Amino acid sequence: MTNFNWLLDGSIVGLYLLATMVAGLMVRKYVGKVEQFLVAGREMDVYLGIASLAATEFGIVTCMYTAQNGYEKGFAGATPGILMALAMAGVGLTGFVIKPLRDSGVITIPELLEQRFGQRIRWAAGVVIVLGGLLNMGVFLRTGGQFLVLVAGLDVRYLEIMMTALLVGVAIYTILGGMLSVLVTDFLQFVVMSVGLILVTILILMNVGWEKLVTAVDTNYGVGGFNPFVNPTMGWQYVLFNLMLNTAAVLTWQTIIARVLAAKDTNTGRKVYTRTSFFFVCRFLIPGVWGIAALATLGPVANTLEAMPRYLSTAVPAGLMGILIAAMLAADMSTDSSYMLTWCSVIYNDIMAPFRKKPWSEKKGLFWNRTIIAFIGIFLLLYGLWYPLKGDLWTYLGVTGTIYLASISVLLIACCYWRRANSWGAGASIFVSAVIPVSYLVMEQLPSTAALAKSIGPYYSGIATYLLSGAAMVVGSLLKPQVRSRKEAA
Amino acid sequence: MSQHWFWWALTAACVIWYSTITVYVAIKGASDIKNMLARLDATNKREAAEKS
Repeated sequence: MTNFNWLLDGSIVGLYLLATMVAGLMVRKYVGKVEQFLVAGREMDVYLGIASLAATEFGIVTCMYTAQNGYEKGFAGATPGILMALAMAGVGLTGFVIKPLRDSGVITIPELLEQRFGQRIRWAAGVVIVLGGLLNMGVFLRTGGQFLVLVAGLDVRYLEIMMTALLVGVAIYTILGGMLSVLVTDFLQFVVMSVGLILVTILILMNVGWEKLVTAVDTNYGVGGFNPFVNPTMGWQYVLFNLMLNTAAVLTWQTIIARVLAAKDTNTGRKVYTRTSFFFVCRFLIPGVWGIAALATLGPVANTLEAMPRYLSTAVPAGLMGILIAAMLAADMSTDSSYMLTWCSVIYNDIMAPFRKKPWSEKKGLFWNRTIIAFIGIFLLLYGLWYPLKGDLWTYLGVTGTIYLASISVLLIACCYWRRANSWGAGASIFVSAVIPVSYLVMEQLPSTAALAKSIGPYYSGIATYLLSGAAMVVGSLLKPQVRSRKEAA
Repeated sequence: MSQHWFWWALTAACVIWYSTITVYVAIKGASDIKNMLARLDATNKREAAEKS
């Protein structure tokens, strides 16, 4: 049973969907050039940037894995959010990496890397960014569908149809309006999403109560539910891996960086980072509290990913249920549109760069960008339906993200701050960073190596990737003979 | 509450900060969109005039 009321809640959801589609389609007339399509003509200001960044980085999938973290690890499960907020505030305040990146006027990170490491590294960086990003995004649809089906009490057979329809809707306005549609719909989605998240959290805190939440964590996980260092499923390796992962994400995750690149100037980009940083604590803690409320109310369940939506389906009353579902749809649509556009920008700008020996016309460029987004949508549908997710969702996202986060963060830091860095180091770093996580994912899936993968664990594998990727950059760069300029030789 | 004051304070800060920032960004963000579209429109018109 669920409290979803088709007339009342269905109307709220329908109205929201209609408003989003209209807003997304209305701005398409302002798009006449590739730069307007990919980075909104670099006209984004601070508050629109905050709304867009927050909406993009909170999807249903985020809500699901952070609630799963809350259910499985208690309050300590919000640790990655705190680490990410600290990293983002630090980068925003100092301008570390993002200042030279925005000052360079590039559209994507690999475009900047080409200036130091050459065209081949730009291409290879583009490939690993897209590989890691698409594998990461592949699980979004099914997870989002699971939430909606459980909360609204729909037949699970409708999951694929519902998510396909949602993706088609998002793809239409993203294909037509690019970053402009993404920014405008993100703004609308931020408001709807935030209202839903705040109201449901207040309801939970009032109905379940703080003491009951704390008792549930204490009873199930003891001190480990409050302190990640003494939690048997976390420990120092979890904290260190997440510190590396979140710092790298803040520096190089293309959907986050896209907001810096679309900002009207470097200071605006830095302000967006600084002022959005605390949102990343909310991003983990608010759904984490929902997960803890599920633990306190439902007790032990077989599928921890589904605990939170099962709990909400009966805890949230009609009326608020419509706002909750509209909020979650908003969260999911903003994430999907931004992610499709972002990976498209890398495919077009960097992977296809060797095929554009002569500059393409704006019309041809826009056609190819739109075609790539359509293909990404098709990939998402196919991959999202057959990949069997093992282990917890946050770890899967961390491991797939590491495929590119480790090397690209190393390359970007070296590109901006280490004069000795060169293409040998960059190539070695990309190779090491891709091989370790991909091997881990393959080992996890094969019956003969699954036990070994489990004994290593995702955290040690992740830490090794970051450290070895950095080491590969240093060793590779030092091994390459230095070419001295005539002036230096003289 | 006193035993786990850190998590209590952080949860309270999240709810208060998020509520405030939502209202603030909703107002200022709408103005950002209006200005952004006006600038883009002006740029497009200027470029179209230069072409012709």
